[in-house]
Amino acid sequence: MGLWTLLKSGLVLDIYFFKNNRAQLVSMFAWPYILLALMLGMGFLFGSAETFKSNVGVEADPVVFFVASTLIAMASLSVMWEVGGTVLYHRWIGTLPYVLIAPYRTSITLVMSYIPRYLLWSFMQLSEFVPVLIWREGLVGGLADTLVMGLAIVIGMLPLLGFAAIFGSFLLTIKEETNVLSWLNPIILILSGAFYPAYLFPIWARFLSMLLPTTYTFELARLSSLVGAPKLAEMTFLIAVLLGMSFLYNALSFTLMGKAEKRALKSGAV
Amino acid sequence: MWVKVKAVIWLHTLRLWRYGMSFINMILSQVLWILLFIMGVLLFVPPEHLTVALRMAYWTIAAWSVISSFSSLVGGWTSFFILMGMVEEHLLRNTSPFTTIIGRVLTGTTVSFAIMIAMGYAFSWIFGRVLMTVERPPLILMAFALLIVESLSYALSISATSMRTSISEQFLEILNFGIIGLLIIPVSVLPEYARLIYLAIPYVAPTYMIKVSVGGESPILMREAALISVIESILMAFIALRLIRSVEEHIRRKGVRAVGFW
Repeated sequence: MGLWTLLKSGLVLDIYFFKNNRAQLVSMFAWPYILLALMLGMGFLFGSAETFKSNVGVEADPVVFFVASTLIAMASLSVMWEVGGTVLYHRWIGTLPYVLIAPYRTSITLVMSYIPRYLLWSFMQLSEFVPVLIWREGLVGGLADTLVMGLAIVIGMLPLLGFAAIFGSFLLTIKEETNVLSWLNPIILILSGAFYPAYLFPIWARFLSMLLPTTYTFELARLSSLVGAPKLAEMTFLIAVLLGMSFLYNALSFTLMGKAEKRALKSGAV
Repeated sequence: MWVKVKAVIWLHTLRLWRYGMSFINMILSQVLWILLFIMGVLLFVPPEHLTVALRMAYWTIAAWSVISSFSSLVGGWTSFFILMGMVEEHLLRNTSPFTTIIGRVLTGTTVSFAIMIAMGYAFSWIFGRVLMTVERPPLILMAFALLIVESLSYALSISATSMRTSISEQFLEILNFGIIGLLIIPVSVLPEYARLIYLAIPYVAPTYMIKVSVGGESPILMREAALISVIESILMAFIALRLIRSVEEHIRRKGVRAVGFW
């Protein structure tokens, strides 16, 4: 079994998943818009775009800001649930032993079979926001924003995959795993500054947010919301941080997943 | 009958106790998700309006948490109940499966009020504002009681429907989430002719009464809202009971669907 087979299996699984579960497909398209509409609707009901700009401290378009935030929040959640949570899923349906004894390390199997799903889902969600971006920024500006967000989706995925695999290895070693996963996800999103920029947090929270790869992915995607062209230096810096974190988190996940596998097999958790 | 009621209360109390971690997790995660969402909304709010906006958002979400908890903990639990083969077990013992499902009102009420209290304390601490004060306590109790009747009726209706035909859980979730957007609109921002129509939408009138009782809305339509809430609650309960009867007759003759809720 080659790596290509793992990638292909992930892609085919998704295509059939969509084919057989239309409600899931429709809901996948509907969720980002519902979230965005609620956030903006409530925001404009209680306040204004001017207050938003003054609170955020930059000249940003609130609609594009929340499009970028919603998109990355959805993508990050997907990675955390699908890579981290897949361990649980395999355990529940009894296929975890097969994943553990497969020729590749568990972390590689989880990550490689997930990549097509992530790219497919995230780019489908990005494409549904293109009309909104063009409406806000015009054709050229809208397409440029789409490119920046697409870049954030791809680059942001690299460290997040390792991060989620570490999460998965942690879940292998603990009890009450679903309970942990469901409250840890919103904490990660809050600390990453998903809808409220991390630079506005108190110092202790800012320190924690600096350790999370999602913080930089949100910042990168939200550069598209700045009025005028996003600064290239800032973009390069964020990309460099994300690439550095990719190396760190993926190396860590490779080590930790092996240990967690051994521990799970030893304790009979599988 | 009393023995059955006692057994159902015992079952759900015991389950709530044994799934203690799930209970805590449900409250914690819901509060965190709401916090994540609210933080984004607050970016639009000028500092001088923060208290009013937070109070409005808090009480609207408190009302929504009752609706949401009932729909997932009563309606959604039916799926588990069916998969465990409990419907047949109940029918064999000449007991309506809905007796046990209605007992989930205990879980729904406990979870939703625990979320409300946890959220109130968390938000008050984080944002440094007092949110949980009430100006008219009897009114808020009445409004929550009516909201519980409406939510339970809706939950039982989808529970009964899911025993005859599958229900898409994703659409229910979308509907569930979309309700917040509906409840948050203040009556005062609507044109006069649309206000009564707006109040006639299920859940809106009791939520308006909650907002009035905490001083978040003007009480100009209080009488109308109370009347609409009572009529709607009776009507929704009646529809739910009729649906339960017809579904029970159907499943006694033809059996339950193997998979509900999907």
